[in-house]
Amino acid sequence: MTKAMIWNMFTPTNIHIPTNNMAGILSFDFVIHAIEAAFLASITCGFIGAYIVARRMVFISGGITHASFGGIGLGYFLGINPIFGAAIFSILSAFGIRLVSKQTDIREDSAIGILWSFGMAVGIIFIYLTPGYAPNLMSYLFGSILTVTLADLTMMGILAAVTIAVFLFFYRTILFISFDEEYARSHNAPVETFNYLMLTLVALVIVINIRVAGIILVISYLTIPQSTANLFVNDLKKIIFLSVIISFSGSCIGLLISYYWNIPSGATIIFVFVLIFILARAIVYLHNRKQRNGSVADI
Amino acid sequence: MSELIKLENVTAGYNNGIVLRNVSLTVSDRDFIGVIGPNGGGKTTLIKLVLGLVKPISGTIQRFDNQEGNFIGYLPQQSHIDRKFPITVRDIVLSGLMSAGSPMNRYSSHDKKQALELLGQMGIHHLANRTAGELSGGQLQRVFICRALISTPKLLILDEPNTFVDNRFEHEMYELLQEFNKQMAILIISHDVGTISYFVKTIACVNTYLHYHPSNIITEEQLAGYNCPLQIITHGDVPHTVLQKHDQSHDLEHVHTHQHSHTHE
Repeated sequence: MTKAMIWNMFTPTNIHIPTNNMAGILSFDFVIHAIEAAFLASITCGFIGAYIVARRMVFISGGITHASFGGIGLGYFLGINPIFGAAIFSILSAFGIRLVSKQTDIREDSAIGILWSFGMAVGIIFIYLTPGYAPNLMSYLFGSILTVTLADLTMMGILAAVTIAVFLFFYRTILFISFDEEYARSHNAPVETFNYLMLTLVALVIVINIRVAGIILVISYLTIPQSTANLFVNDLKKIIFLSVIISFSGSCIGLLISYYWNIPSGATIIFVFVLIFILARAIVYLHNRKQRNGSVADI
Repeated sequence: MSELIKLENVTAGYNNGIVLRNVSLTVSDRDFIGVIGPNGGGKTTLIKLVLGLVKPISGTIQRFDNQEGNFIGYLPQQSHIDRKFPITVRDIVLSGLMSAGSPMNRYSSHDKKQALELLGQMGIHHLANRTAGELSGGQLQRVFICRALISTPKLLILDEPNTFVDNRFEHEMYELLQEFNKQMAILIISHDVGTISYFVKTIACVNTYLHYHPSNIITEEQLAGYNCPLQIITHGDVPHTVLQKHDQSHDLEHVHTHQHSHTHE
């Protein structure tokens, strides 16, 4: 059953539903699951996205995301869970980009471009070679938060717990290595170990959240709430905390809008993220202008 | 005076060739060594060898490191820092305490107090909760000096500390360094030969080979003999910065010779 069919089944004929129907939405299991998935995605993406944005790794994350499509295709072809294929492809491509750019004279952004398109190509070839129709393909491209299963939620929950634990135990080391890698090296800090640990975590978070946001949209969960948070706070742990909140509230608002207007949930959530970002930017701009004018008036 | 670091017949380089040949240098307690030489001559590689960031191709490096925690404090060039990185000044200073065995360590209230005290000594106590991007070049340089000092190192290494600093703080910084030198050895890289020769005790000229000059008075003839093609703006005991303030014509000449020496490098 596709997402659109589920939505159509439950979309009321009258769009202007009184607010006391709120409890009505929550009586559907798939809505509860969607909210739980949004919560767990907000945690994993809030933490890892803050790391990605702080280290300027957005492009490499885009590369990892798209390269993982090759794994999804391979999964279909071999008849295994596509998410496992995607996990293997994303981790290998993450390490591959790093190794190739460090040890050969290929520059990092070029390596990303190569693996990005190669992964997509491999995915398309394998899906073409797979006998029969691949029914969930669209959900991997655009995500389908409304059809997450209990198994998906369990995997997301475990990854969220691991992510929180890594940051809880190693926050300082992660922060210091990210800020000044060479300095950390001069203190014999385990720079490479942590770079690979974090790269693995980035790859896994991307793959798990492809289920929710899709290959094309997952980067939004990793960058928009963090950039919004960064408008107000300027300390990594505050950015993490605030982006989890922004991400979860944006997801809930997006879900609600997509429910009432019967539009695709993933795209709606991202639309809401961007609206929040623009609103926040406007607030910051007006606040700064007011302060400037105030100080001019004082003189 | 006890020895801290001893390099013997060290040769080092990267994939594209040898940068340093047969270099020997001993750094002892309370030394204040100025490392000078042309760009590409191997100054930074020398420092990376001392820090353990680059491994020698041949020769030995001994560290007489019997101290808990970090034995070397390091002030890198600022150019590689991402000024927009979301980190507070207090955390930057505390990062000077990180070491190999403590990825899980949290910092004690004592460490945090020490960080604030160091910032206070540098006159930037009020910036502790600001982030790197909100500071000027000179303020950030002070923060990095605090980071280098928080582990109370035996040896302080500075790589071109005057690059991003205004003239006023530059002078202040050299005075601070002389104060620190009472407690630790200092190794400083600089392209400004005239200024550092006034503050350092000895000079190491690095241009593939290293020539150690056991005093702070060095002439252009001596530099030429060391195969170290640099021009000196002022000599020996004449403080360069004072001259700049008093003598306008010299100032112009200084700018001129400086540019000249850059093209020469």
